[in-house]
Amino acid sequence: MDTNLLAKKIKEAHLWEKTIDLERNEFLKVKGQTDTNLYYVIHGSLRIFVYHESEEHTIRLGYKDNFIASLDSFISESPSNLCIQSIKKTQLKVISKKSFLGFIHSSNQNLQIWLEVLNQLIYQQIEREQDLLITSPIERYKRVLQRSPLLFQEIPNKYIASYLRMTPETLSRIKKS
Amino acid sequence: MNGSALNGMTEPNTFYPKNNTSMRIKTKDLIEELVEKTKNHLNELNKLKSLSIENLNYRPGPDKWSILECVEHLNRYGRFYLPEIESRIEQSKSLAEDEFKSGFLGNYFANSMLPKVKLNTMKTFKEMNPIGSDLDESSIQTLIDQQHKTLDLLSKAGSVSMNKTKTSISISKWIKLKLGDTFRVVVYHNYRHMVQIKNITKELSI
Repeated sequence: MDTNLLAKKIKEAHLWEKTIDLERNEFLKVKGQTDTNLYYVIHGSLRIFVYHESEEHTIRLGYKDNFIASLDSFISESPSNLCIQSIKKTQLKVISKKSFLGFIHSSNQNLQIWLEVLNQLIYQQIEREQDLLITSPIERYKRVLQRSPLLFQEIPNKYIASYLRMTPETLSRIKKS
Repeated sequence: MNGSALNGMTEPNTFYPKNNTSMRIKTKDLIEELVEKTKNHLNELNKLKSLSIENLNYRPGPDKWSILECVEHLNRYGRFYLPEIESRIEQSKSLAEDEFKSGFLGNYFANSMLPKVKLNTMKTFKEMNPIGSDLDESSIQTLIDQQHKTLDLLSKAGSVSMNKTKTSISISKWIKLKLGDTFRVVVYHNYRHMVQIKNITKELSI
């Protein structure tokens, strides 16, 4: 995977700025904060969601060896609505946007890796957009299971259910059938 | 500000500390500070969810509040201030400004909320005193929801004037504060009692 290569190269260049330890259910970012850092998950898991009228809508889930960021804030450098919260006890490595940009522009190869990561990200976003438009819960489940089987080992059901826009009960019924 | 509101109260010179100079800050920095504090409150409240009901009800002294009583006290303030702030923001016609200048009273109230090194006691208005209420863990979730609401309102506040938008306050119908000061009062007041809660958890060594 290109993301692992990217993480390895950042490590070799000694650009990880610090390690962050999060307790279970701890907020890394809340609505209204500007967070332009890029994080890499050493262990644990996190979720990115928006909080709307007392309801949480899951946007992304992250676990070991994933990059995670409030991508809107990362790009715009302004406050965003996204919340990032740990699910389990989690450890992250951090790199600031400034040093990350310096890093990817320092060699043609780094830039190529980043472009490949961005391509994958756009591809995933289009898949995700289709997921959200599909009416059948079973179909939504199958698509995500095929795309990210690991997700079902790393993330508790209730967050996967929220990601799939169904109740935890519906998800466990689908999983059994 | 209605000057007559101060009639009958203590002389201003003794009532207000002399160093209460008003404060100027970039609006963006003010919002950032309040969001950061609110994030910390959320993380502290999350930890309380795992405490036993005995610990949540433990009173460090006969007249002292338990964790749940602190939480309920904050909920009562939130129930007044959050809808008040929301409707004032919605009705506000003034545009956002780069700088916020605190008002005289607003700055005094906000700063008086901040706890001293050794947490000083303050007088509580009767209707805000939670002692003797029947409380359970659901109060914690209510306060968590209120923190999310606060974050929501702080985002909305970015598009109106923190200076010209005014809100009522819970303790006197004659006084209005600038929106920026009201936010400070609410968040600093939360902070004060989160420190109090932290002290109780330390005493319980949990």
